Amino acid sequence: MEALRKKIPLTLPQNTVKIIRIIAALLLLALVIVRAIDVAAESQFGADTWLRLSVSGLIIGGMYALIAIGYTLVYGILFMINFAHGEVMMIGTFGGYFVFEAFNAIQVTAADGSQMSFLNANPVIAVFLAFLAGMTIAALSGYFLEKIAYRPLRGAPRLVPLISAIGASIFLQNAGQLLFGPQRRQYINPVVLDRGIGWHVELAGSTVVLTYTGIFSLVLSAILMVGLYVLVQRTKLGRAMRAVAQDKKTAALMGINVDQIISRTFVISGALAGAAGVMWGIHNGLFNYFVGFLPGIKAFTAAVLGGIGNIPGAMLGGMFLGIVESLGPAVLGIDFQLKDVIAFSILILVLIFRPSGILGEALSEEKV
Amino acid sequence: MNKQSLQKSAGSGLVFGIIVIFLALIGFTVVFSGLIQKVLGQSLGVGQIPSISNFFIFLGFLGIWNGWRASRQDKHETLTLAKVLMRAAVAGLSAGVLVMLYGFVVGGLDARGTDMRKYLSMLSSDSIKFFLFNQSLVLGGLIHVGFSTLMALVGGLLAFGSERSQQQVRTNRTKIQKWSQSTWLGKVQGNPYVTYVLMGIVLLLLVLLPRTWGAYWNYVMGTVGIYVLLGLGLNIIVGLSGQLVLGYVAFFAIGAYTFALTTSPEPHNLVWNFWIALAVSVVAAALSGILIGLPILRLRGDYLAIVTLGFGEIIRILLKSDILKDFTMGPRGVRNIAGPTLFGRSFTSDVDFMYLIILAVLLSIFLAKRWQESSIGRAWLAISQDETVAQATGVDTQKYKLLALSLGAAFAGLGGALFASRNQFTGPEDHALMVSINVLVLVIVGGMGSIPGVVLGAFTLKGLPEILRELESYRLLVFGALLVVMMIIRPEGLWPARRPKLEVPVGQDNEPVPLPATAGGEK
Repeated sequence: MEALRKKIPLTLPQNTVKIIRIIAALLLLALVIVRAIDVAAESQFGADTWLRLSVSGLIIGGMYALIAIGYTLVYGILFMINFAHGEVMMIGTFGGYFVFEAFNAIQVTAADGSQMSFLNANPVIAVFLAFLAGMTIAALSGYFLEKIAYRPLRGAPRLVPLISAIGASIFLQNAGQLLFGPQRRQYINPVVLDRGIGWHVELAGSTVVLTYTGIFSLVLSAILMVGLYVLVQRTKLGRAMRAVAQDKKTAALMGINVDQIISRTFVISGALAGAAGVMWGIHNGLFNYFVGFLPGIKAFTAAVLGGIGNIPGAMLGGMFLGIVESLGPAVLGIDFQLKDVIAFSILILVLIFRPSGILGEALSEEKV
Repeated sequence: MNKQSLQKSAGSGLVFGIIVIFLALIGFTVVFSGLIQKVLGQSLGVGQIPSISNFFIFLGFLGIWNGWRASRQDKHETLTLAKVLMRAAVAGLSAGVLVMLYGFVVGGLDARGTDMRKYLSMLSSDSIKFFLFNQSLVLGGLIHVGFSTLMALVGGLLAFGSERSQQQVRTNRTKIQKWSQSTWLGKVQGNPYVTYVLMGIVLLLLVLLPRTWGAYWNYVMGTVGIYVLLGLGLNIIVGLSGQLVLGYVAFFAIGAYTFALTTSPEPHNLVWNFWIALAVSVVAAALSGILIGLPILRLRGDYLAIVTLGFGEIIRILLKSDILKDFTMGPRGVRNIAGPTLFGRSFTSDVDFMYLIILAVLLSIFLAKRWQESSIGRAWLAISQDETVAQATGVDTQKYKLLALSLGAAFAGLGGALFASRNQFTGPEDHALMVSINVLVLVIVGGMGSIPGVVLGAFTLKGLPEILRELESYRLLVFGALLVVMMIIRPEGLWPARRPKLEVPVGQDNEPVPLPATAGGEK
């Protein structure tokens, strides 16, 4: 045994590396904390700003969480990053937009005899149908994405489906640009969900507006997440999905149609991304064909942060990332332009220091 | 059985119908018809709608392909004429009907005066009329149905004919092979002098062409050359050592900015010598490769891809932001970057620059080839095949992965410096994610790990769109589709890498012949 040991050249003493890594992590953490205390001492922002930032972080975080669930579901089953997931969200955004536009064009006579658009006469139906359309079309695109770009590559080396996914992402993005044009479009919300109005909260002498669109998005994403959790934990489909994620071969032997379950996973994750896309449109208003790119990457970050393959982890990671991204520039006292840098840095740091994420098992190295 | 195959044909026809509709929606039908018109030698003004006959040619190709595909469903069955015609007709009809319905919808809306360009940016009234052959709604739709069916039938007949002649083709191919091996052609192929002569001809062309073909071609080919450099570098990282890096543009940016900041009068007033600055940028890029590589080396596959993508974006955002404004000029970019000088003379004309790029490319190809064939190349190959096994067999994976990353980054730095010097300007938007994607696509389409593949890929993906200017806006769309299609039907690329193999004698059923027992253990 000893002789064999000597013969195999161990490349790096693992313990040393680990210790170096831990020291580096602690140093970084200390740096961040010192900087944060420094900035806090200056007290540039009042309590109202902090409230506004954290609420907007939560809202964005809810959308990230919905998208991140899609990454996690697919990764849990196929061990691949569905790179085109952000584009699925973009498709959902367009779906909701067209429904709103159509309802805005239809004129109806309201109860008091005045003319108004269908959108404002029946806002509940309109919003419901917009979400339905966005989720359906995103789910469909997820289904076809899997069928065209990923299914023929089942069993190929890992790099192959990943490249195919990147290709699908570029294709969808540019198809969106060519179809709908490069210009930015604006969601027409019903008057009751106007982006300007909301609850006014008095805090430290100034008012903070918590917009209805934001609250609506947050509540809806919470509902959808709970729904998904119930679906995965309590239904037959959910059980089948978990079985396939654990072991495809054994699941097939137990009479589960693996291909069908994979398809349905893509449908579910597409629907969630579509819902996030419609929320994005309702809450932020402006969007174009590029809308899915950054949320896609950030949601992936969130999924990794929470531990990829782990559904509660993705939700937690999404919320956490949303808040950090929103508060980060203020806490560290840096320019708000660099918001995206914070997200990417978190991704890199998590992958370097704890690839398993907050709640996950280590996947990046061991599972091939 | 028969019903099933007809259903299949109808399905494949519907797919083709959807493709035609999609192409019409993104305006590709008009652009491509215009291209056909130009290829056929007729002039076409900018923004002018091409003539209808070219649209028929375009639809004809798709229709024939449709019929061809629909009629060959199973490789093993023997085709009969009736079967083929039935299938092709069904496929053509279903595609045609779908396209007709689409024509009714858009044509009807257009006739009512709705401007669809608010939502679908390519659907101008002219293009809709073009799609309906400048005919009325019903007539245009019927022409679509009829033409699609007709062309599908032609495609089916072609498939039938090719099936019949396939046997013939096969015997001919073996004949040609035998002939080429036995006569002078085979001898010539194996002769080293022929290679030298060919190389001489290529060199002569490389010397002569930049002088003769003018500034425009020098510009296009210079871009291709720079992308060959980038491709060679990424080929080392992705193709040879098997690490998918999506943030390759970071190294390109570091090379370009190092060169820019050391030679431009603004912002630091360092006016270094061209060659020193070039060397410094290459070294800086290589060092950055090591620095970025060190912490992320243990990541594999998709994680590595996304982390490097993050690095690329971070560098671009930092360059663009106000933080580094004093250091890198922020979003404005760096201007007045120096051109090459030698012994006090400046060589900034397009011809000189082309020579410089050609020299750099030749040197890089030489180096890349030497590395690939050395023990380093074999170590990379082992890592890309299976990292754990490579480590177990004594390959220092960390070292070789770092080496691949820094060497690849050095190429990117060289490319970036030349790019900045040629444009005399570099800004953050030169270094968007799309550069990484372009390079990745050309490496993969050319063939991972194959140097001629990189050159071929750069020509097709960077040179061809420059020539076919009309297709510029569809370039990325096609890239994306190409990546997916390549991965499905030809993952090894257009010009796959040929690896030196040890010949194992092959017996029947492709089983290796067992070696004689004396070969191994008895000694």
